[in-house]
Amino acid sequence: MASVLLAPGWRAEQRRAFLLGLSPSLAVLLVITLVPAAALLVASFTPLSLTDPAATFRFDDPLVNYRQLLQDNRFLGSIAVQFKLSASSVALQLLVGLGLALLLNGKSRVLEGARTLFLIPMVLPPIVVALIWKIMYTPDVSPVHRALEHLGSPVRSLIANPETALWAISLADTWQWFPFTMLMVLASLQMIPDDPLEAARLEGANRWQLFRYIVFPYIRPVLVVCGLFRLIDSFKAFPLIYVLTNGGPGNVTEVTNYYGFIQAFNFSYWGYASAIATVMLVGVFVLSWLVGKLGWSDHEQR
Amino acid sequence: MTHPTPFGLHRRSLLKTSAALGAASLLPGLPGLAAAQGGAKKFAGVTLNVSTFSATYPKLLQQWLPEFEALTGAKVNFDAPSFPVYNQRVDLELSTRGSAYDVVNVTFIYSSRWINSGWLTPLDDYIRNPNLTSADWDLNDFLPGARAPETGKDGKLYGIPWTAEALLTASSRFDLLEKAGLAFPDTTDDLVKVLRAVHKKERVAGFVADNHYGWTFVPYLHAFGGDVFRKAPDDLFPTLDTPEAIAAGEYYANLLREFGPDGAITYQPDQVTQALKLGRVNFTDAGQLHLAQLGDPATSKTLKTVRFGQVPKGPAGRFPGTAVHGLGIPAGSKNKEAAWAFIQWALSKQTTRKAVAAGYGSPARRSDIDSAEFRQKQVINGSDLAKLSLDAIELASKTGHMKYRTVSVYPQIDQQLNKAIELIASGQLSAKQAFQQAQANSIAELKRAGQKL
Repeated sequence: MASVLLAPGWRAEQRRAFLLGLSPSLAVLLVITLVPAAALLVASFTPLSLTDPAATFRFDDPLVNYRQLLQDNRFLGSIAVQFKLSASSVALQLLVGLGLALLLNGKSRVLEGARTLFLIPMVLPPIVVALIWKIMYTPDVSPVHRALEHLGSPVRSLIANPETALWAISLADTWQWFPFTMLMVLASLQMIPDDPLEAARLEGANRWQLFRYIVFPYIRPVLVVCGLFRLIDSFKAFPLIYVLTNGGPGNVTEVTNYYGFIQAFNFSYWGYASAIATVMLVGVFVLSWLVGKLGWSDHEQR
Repeated sequence: MTHPTPFGLHRRSLLKTSAALGAASLLPGLPGLAAAQGGAKKFAGVTLNVSTFSATYPKLLQQWLPEFEALTGAKVNFDAPSFPVYNQRVDLELSTRGSAYDVVNVTFIYSSRWINSGWLTPLDDYIRNPNLTSADWDLNDFLPGARAPETGKDGKLYGIPWTAEALLTASSRFDLLEKAGLAFPDTTDDLVKVLRAVHKKERVAGFVADNHYGWTFVPYLHAFGGDVFRKAPDDLFPTLDTPEAIAAGEYYANLLREFGPDGAITYQPDQVTQALKLGRVNFTDAGQLHLAQLGDPATSKTLKTVRFGQVPKGPAGRFPGTAVHGLGIPAGSKNKEAAWAFIQWALSKQTTRKAVAAGYGSPARRSDIDSAEFRQKQVINGSDLAKLSLDAIELASKTGHMKYRTVSVYPQIDQQLNKAIELIASGQLSAKQAFQQAQANSIAELKRAGQKL
């Protein structure tokens, strides 16, 4: 470091400028990101509980929380629930977002209006979205349930049924976040040059072939980025679960994040909850790396 | 903008002065605050942060805050989020000995944990000090049974109760029972018999309960001869896998499964109250605070058909649930004297009487409960809700069956009960499997809490 700062020459000058320019941001980043993360990691090695302040910095058995996690069926079950919810909601968001982006990709006032309209769910606060869906899923007050009942096809409460509760949450999450994919894909679609499309049309390619061989390779990296962002975000699913199901019926919608919340805020087991959060953090890193590698490597080969 | 009055005073100043004079005359029992009449205000410049969960009494206090502010000069920020949000927020704040709040609600299920961890300020010295509390404030007027959960192991008082309520049973469409020639159910067997007769009559579902089953189910657990712990508060080994607990779980989950409206296991307290007020569901078990709303002529469609009763008696007897909430001062508060003045005002005889006159249905002062005004308001369609509630509280104080509720580890077990009932009612597990699972999970949770079992 010192040699870089003291070395003579234009390149060294450039490096110095970079280092000095970046250091304030790096310092801030360190304080607001890494320090709390380190505190979380340290807490996960202690039996920290707010009702027992004496245990705050006790490290006599630092792996006790992690050992308990391996035997905690509720935690292991929550990981399975998390995977189901993440996989279904991310897949649905990509499909719906992509489909609508393809439909709305054009230049007309109607399409522009429709695009704006579809963005509304994404800008709503998560708790408002949760309340909207609570109304939609509560047979007593739901306009959908009432209409279906009126038509002679009543549907049982989706959030009270263990078979459907998780999918009901996935659907609500998709409703809120498909506009993100739609927006990104639309931007990408509008950057596709006309030449290859024209050439393919002249060669007699049909719509599917145009999409499969020209459009899709262009938008694929964007889809990977959208998938990655939504995957990371799906691990933070909270307001929908809190408002709609409270993790139930039983534990069928209890994702890892929600389980950690209960351990910390309902029972005050902060050390244990920190271990849960740390495992989640590592899991998200690994998944992000895998997804990123998968998407980008193919893209680079192309 | 303020408008000058004909006497040269500004309207707002006049209102404030009148409020101060009015309040001071209403509240002679606040020593040191009477100086307000001379213009000097004891807590001028102090900002008090008060937090409770959202409920009828706190809402009334919020309306009347200008009275306290005019009397003392203090400014009050009053925050009242929902019950779970409040508890999580204050639990965290108290545990860190923070000074964000000066007055908090001492929540029933957390009272033992908060008091015995030293997170609240003992109030005895304030109450005994004649410079801070006048004799006519009368602590002994608060029901002894309501003061007990606000008292620590050291015998000191940490909260002044603003509500003492009981879990009672209601039938919003008692007319359907009368048509069927049936009486209000007295036993668990009667309840099933009645529900079989009236469920879905005139499109009214038979039974629903707030999905906080750690509160609504436990009277049935006791009625079947079961309990939450082996012997609270001394022996906290959970007893959720006993044959009695399993039988009670099967019985109660079946009430929801067989007689509940669609989505019964997702109903929260306000939903239950609304369903009853609109006559969409007939029976429930709920706190008196919620049930009193069925007597509101402006919003209740079942005012003329409602009937109340005690929770049903089971093979082991009748065990109504009771709950108490009080106002206390966090250990970290930097404005304790002003906070005490606020509690004193908020729970003075004058304020609680005014609340009763405004329709408040669950006071903790004996003088309010015995007042003709309160008793009259609590008679709803011929049912005396106040008497039922007092009988339930008295019964609970005799049997001592509510001791399970205020032990520090109850929140953990409370959630296991919620899960167990949901699992049975939604058909995921049998009663035996669900309660065995609840027992195993409870033991694991208590060990994690450092509890010696």
